[in-house]
Amino acid sequence: MVSKQLTLTNAQGFHMRPASVFATAMGKYSCDVTIKFNGNDYNAKSLLNIVAACIKCGSEIEVICDGADEKEALEEAVQLIESGLGE
Amino acid sequence: MLNGTAASDGIGIGRAMIIEEHSLDYTPKTITDTDAESQRFKNAVKIFCDNTTAQAEALRKSTGDKEAEILEGHIQIMRDPYMCGEIEKLISDGQCAEAALEHMCDMFITMFSAADDELTKQRASDVKDIKTSVLSILLGVNEVKISAAPKGTVIVAKELTPSMTAGINKENIVGIVTETGGKTSHSAILARALEIPAVLSVDGAAKKLSAGEQVIVDGNEGIVIASPEESQIEQYTQKRSAFLRERRELENYRGKKTLSASGEEYELFCNIGKPDDAISAMEFDGEGVGLFRTEFLFMDRNSVPTEDEQFEAYKKAVLILKGKPLIIRTLDVGGDKDLPYLGLKKEENPFMGYRAIRYCLDNRELFKTQIRAILRASAFGDIRIMFPLVTCVDELRAGKELVEKAKEELRESKINFNENIKIGVMMETSSAAVIADVLAKESDFFSIGTNDLTGYTMACDRGNSDVSYLYSALQPSVLRLIKNIIDCGIKNNIPVGMCGEAAANSMIIPLLISFGLTEFSVSAPSVLKVRKVISTWTKAEADKVAEKVMSMSTEKEIYDYLKTVI
Repeated sequence: MVSKQLTLTNAQGFHMRPASVFATAMGKYSCDVTIKFNGNDYNAKSLLNIVAACIKCGSEIEVICDGADEKEALEEAVQLIESGLGE
Repeated sequence: MLNGTAASDGIGIGRAMIIEEHSLDYTPKTITDTDAESQRFKNAVKIFCDNTTAQAEALRKSTGDKEAEILEGHIQIMRDPYMCGEIEKLISDGQCAEAALEHMCDMFITMFSAADDELTKQRASDVKDIKTSVLSILLGVNEVKISAAPKGTVIVAKELTPSMTAGINKENIVGIVTETGGKTSHSAILARALEIPAVLSVDGAAKKLSAGEQVIVDGNEGIVIASPEESQIEQYTQKRSAFLRERRELENYRGKKTLSASGEEYELFCNIGKPDDAISAMEFDGEGVGLFRTEFLFMDRNSVPTEDEQFEAYKKAVLILKGKPLIIRTLDVGGDKDLPYLGLKKEENPFMGYRAIRYCLDNRELFKTQIRAILRASAFGDIRIMFPLVTCVDELRAGKELVEKAKEELRESKINFNENIKIGVMMETSSAAVIADVLAKESDFFSIGTNDLTGYTMACDRGNSDVSYLYSALQPSVLRLIKNIIDCGIKNNIPVGMCGEAAANSMIIPLLISFGLTEFSVSAPSVLKVRKVISTWTKAEADKVAEKVMSMSTEKEIYDYLKTVI
């Protein structure tokens, strides 16, 4: 299992479009991908779960990947979030 | 005659098509062949996705990307691995596909509805729309095919959902009537994008109108006439052609810069009262918002809105504007705008009394809360602050000092905001106009509020019919003040705009061009008209008119002369 703490910097927070970019990207990996936010776990391959988490700009989140391709998944997750999720 | 909300301009005359809602009731049953049930669910999802993709494509051609993206979002939601996974699990536990789908959709609808932010809340209606579509497919209920409506159809429905509106062919649909929805609802925005006249919130429309009945939809006035008389049809047919002629003419100005005939460029902004109004500002091709009245946030409630509530509202407006400027006027309470929970005393003379910046500077916590909210929202776009009813430079200084204090606090809490936020004065008192030279040295911009400026300068209540004849922005005194404000702005190199009604007045526009106004802020529906009027004047011609006007002694002379030149 690998994980990393990150700050969400895109202006709109995790709304439909950024959430969908993220969930689609994570869907390619076989490992489990979880976002820890405010003490709750959210399935990061599910756009609905991410949107329901209501994560706003400036929030601290932890991305946890667990499974065969966890390293690659985490790397892409970090890169996506740091680049502002395509906004 | 039925009354409703005028939601999309224009006149439509056609025959009613009533969109009835089919019952989506079913009896939940226990499934034994769970594999077959799972396949039935998968097939329904596939049909849903295929239909929606086709609708999105059609919509992209008719109204553009934004509407199509809503539908593409629906496909992504329905394909969500978590949602589908859970539904499959419920099915393998023996639930029927309908019940499993409904269970999961309802879970997300509840979750989204409970969210504390507007954007997430809106997702609930998306999930509802999806649920209805997929349930219809599973139950074999045919959704009404609006796409098959014949030429000259007036659609009458309880509510228009995005998937329904996707089928609208603007060649065939001449009007829309619904029982729910306001000016900023999805149906209204779509109707305007398609330029189909629409009257919304017509009580019981689907029952009161019958299928095939002839109907007139007056989207300008918010009126629906069922089975009209011959004379009414004739009258509305004429109205319709006049409307279309004018619209066609004005459409030539859409997407264009605001230029005078001699090539000077102006900014053409809109006045708004709610964050959602920014949507119509964009639809009507406004280049920004020159006046966002913030009173609405404080009205119809029992306490002052919190910093977060205000922040969300300002942020929403500035995000809608996508980088275009948003001038926010701080709370203009008092005068004719009372908020019972503030406990303002009744005054003998409220317009001369405890209002606007005077009240705010005396209630610093309330004022600072608003300023902090505006500053926080300034991290998301081009927001500027404007103080109302300034009469002396002390008020401007005190306001700016409070902004500095709020900035300091935000810095300490490491909250982002625009460090260089522009602070301007709404020039609406005679005193401010006379000392415009002093104020200009300490302001980043001016915006002239002609309504109050005229009232204060003429010492005249426009609502009092005994004296309202004095109320005119064409009074020589008012014009001199306007000219002085603009002159002082030019000398000090700050932009001067106008957000009063005069900015859209075709008689006054040449004078403003001559004086050197740089920004016109008008109501959204006036944007194209004002752009057209500005385009008819060269600076030299406007100068000639202004010179003549400024040499005249009475309002009547000025009025009569301007009538002859426009």
